[in-house]
Amino acid sequence: MILRRFLAVALCVILAAGTIAPQPYAAEVKSGPILVEDVQFGEVLFYFYQEDYFPAIVRLLAAKKESQLENHLDESELLLGGLYLSYGHHLKAADIFERLLADNVDQDVRDRTWFFLAKIWHQRGYLAESQRALDRIESRMPGPFEAERRMLQAQLLIDNGNHDRAIELLGNWRGKDAWANYARFNLGVAMVRSGRVNDAARILDKLGKLEPLNEELSSLRDKANLALGYAYLQAGQPRAAKTPLQRVRLDGPFSNKALLGVGWADAEVDKYRKALVPWMELGGRDLLDPAVQEAMLAVPYALAKLESISQAADYYLNAVEAFYEEAQRIDQAIDRLESGDYLKEFLALDPLSSTGWYWQLESLPNAPESRFLYHLLATHRFQEGLKNYRDLRFLWQNLDEWQTNIRVYRTMLDTREKAYNERLPLIERSLGQADISSLISRKNNLDARLRLVEEKADSLALATEREFELWGEIVGIEKNPALNAPIPEAAEVRDKIRLLKGALQWNLDKQFRGRLWNIRRDLKRTGEALVDTTSLRRQVGESMRDEPMLFADFNRRVDGLSPKIDDLKARLEFAMERQRVFMLGVAIDELRAQRGRLDTYSVQARFALAAIYDLAATATADSGFDSQ
Amino acid sequence: MTAKHFATGVLGSMLCLCGVFAQDLTPIDSDATLADVQSIEVDEAQARADFRSLDQDVQALKEEVLDLNRDLFLLEEELLFPANSQVAFFVSMDVGEYFDLDAVNLKIDGKQVSNYLYTEREVSALHRGGVHRLHMENLKTGEHELIAVFTGKGPSTRDYRRGATMSFEKGIGAKYVELRITDRISKQQPEFVIKEWE
Repeated sequence: MILRRFLAVALCVILAAGTIAPQPYAAEVKSGPILVEDVQFGEVLFYFYQEDYFPAIVRLLAAKKESQLENHLDESELLLGGLYLSYGHHLKAADIFERLLADNVDQDVRDRTWFFLAKIWHQRGYLAESQRALDRIESRMPGPFEAERRMLQAQLLIDNGNHDRAIELLGNWRGKDAWANYARFNLGVAMVRSGRVNDAARILDKLGKLEPLNEELSSLRDKANLALGYAYLQAGQPRAAKTPLQRVRLDGPFSNKALLGVGWADAEVDKYRKALVPWMELGGRDLLDPAVQEAMLAVPYALAKLESISQAADYYLNAVEAFYEEAQRIDQAIDRLESGDYLKEFLALDPLSSTGWYWQLESLPNAPESRFLYHLLATHRFQEGLKNYRDLRFLWQNLDEWQTNIRVYRTMLDTREKAYNERLPLIERSLGQADISSLISRKNNLDARLRLVEEKADSLALATEREFELWGEIVGIEKNPALNAPIPEAAEVRDKIRLLKGALQWNLDKQFRGRLWNIRRDLKRTGEALVDTTSLRRQVGESMRDEPMLFADFNRRVDGLSPKIDDLKARLEFAMERQRVFMLGVAIDELRAQRGRLDTYSVQARFALAAIYDLAATATADSGFDSQ
Repeated sequence: MTAKHFATGVLGSMLCLCGVFAQDLTPIDSDATLADVQSIEVDEAQARADFRSLDQDVQALKEEVLDLNRDLFLLEEELLFPANSQVAFFVSMDVGEYFDLDAVNLKIDGKQVSNYLYTEREVSALHRGGVHRLHMENLKTGEHELIAVFTGKGPSTRDYRRGATMSFEKGIGAKYVELRITDRISKQQPEFVIKEWE
């Protein structure tokens, strides 16, 4: 139960940390501390909860290799999957989830995990994998996740060219939430793409009139009106187009295209004077927008239709000049991109403190080319590419630091080995002098003697040196023949000697037990010390035997890892270069497309101008002939 | 040049940008030939394939670097803290409602070896079950004394400073010592427990 609860919490934490989980869900999964039974598992959690995924993965892999996660086998494996996912290592994460998810977590968490993977894979262009992950979702998802899941499904259908099924899916959309409006919009767009303009018109018209309660809805309303207006224009219904186009906000992000469309709706019915109003307004806006560029040609086109030829020529000339200057700026931007510094500027202020899936580019570099590229930079492909580039750079720096460390370890090992080899003869000499066996033998003899003393209650054997001397003196005096003389003085001395001997014997007997205990204690301590000494001697012996093997093992590992670092660093550099070239290629292609459009407009403007000059010249010639 | 010509181009680019599906839609252009459409789709598919090929390489490299980091991490630990002398000191928290941790000061055998200040993120990670490896040390076999001083805010957010001490026996093989902050509910006070891991 604890296991399932933990897995659910851990995975929810991972999912909640992503961009897909709204705040209420993140709050919902808060839970108490996890019961940690292997301290290394707790250490992994310490980094995981701080969203430091790289060190968390490294520690988990290390603990796993050392079999230090025996009490958290399934949890740690699934946590590893979650960490891989958070770190953007999605393929490896999916491997783990495919093996473990089914048996270890509740269905709702499982569904959310597959949904999250489906999103990642879709954003990274793994369409088949994304579809497979969506197919693994077993039941309706909670709250807004269900709407997002269906929207992703519709997107995948469209990506695979299956518009009819996308229309069917979106057409069956029920509900009145924000997602329902997006679904209706996408349905309308899909219908336009399928040529079902009238069906699309009903949906988009309704969306185009919805109450714009917030910026998001206002934006969606503008998009719907714009899509509908241009669909009508394309279908040759300019009068119908004008109404939705005029509903687009004048200060919104779609106003330029709407103004251009309104102008064309009027121009289509020959109301060129009216068409000039929105087009002239566009003339004062940023030339970066293709709608503004087109308006620069549309204005003189209308003026020419109104037979204001001289004004039309002036506007064409202005357009040619403006297009030329803009083209020059694009050329400079391409040159700067090709010089290779642009990607570095993206990451210049980035501390590389975190990596992986959740990282987002927060601001664009303050460079001239950013102006031309913001649309491209906002795309998933560019963002994901930038994440990869950033991750590669982080990995390279990580290995660079290890490369420095490994050199230090190399030196450390050499120094240790040298010191060991210098000390070894001294140690061997000392060990040779220490005869532990003889000490043990002496201790055993002492034990035997003590046992004998105890058995015989030989108190004299435990006498102090002074007592032993006294005893000797008394015995010596006792043996003196003079004491056997039959005189009263001799008898008196004999009595005194007997008394002294008795007193000494009494003292020795009195202290015998205490002395026996003390000596036994000292012998016991000596025995323990000898055991320790023997153990240490064995350890020293083992160390002397193992140390060369340890040095060899360390040397092998250091020598083996060092070239691996070099090799991986070189491959990372190569991958970074490939990533850089790919992303710059995409950016430069985008700029060249913009440059190409400007060239086309420029040619059209010059052609129109030439036609006007030709017309004027012909008119002058005609009037000259007339006057003649 | 006609209004329709302009309109189709703009509609195409507009639809490319304004959908929820954003960049993945291809433009509508009734004037475009089938070949043009196919060409756009081929370009898109090619770009996707190029990105995917790069992404797969990056994924493979990530895995290799992670595995190498694991080996380097283990090598570093074994080299700097050999198993027979290694002692690791960890900090953990069980509930911890009565104590808001600021710092832990660690002394071993009278010598200060660590004075660690915790960030809010770290404290939060401890609250959720994370265990922090505070310090690693090489110690000889035998008895050692540890003194840990915890500072922070105690009950009623008052400054709080408490010490915990223990003697431990370092044998052969690595040893883990956990400094655990728990709650003594009966006294509504924090409690600091030192636990030895086998």
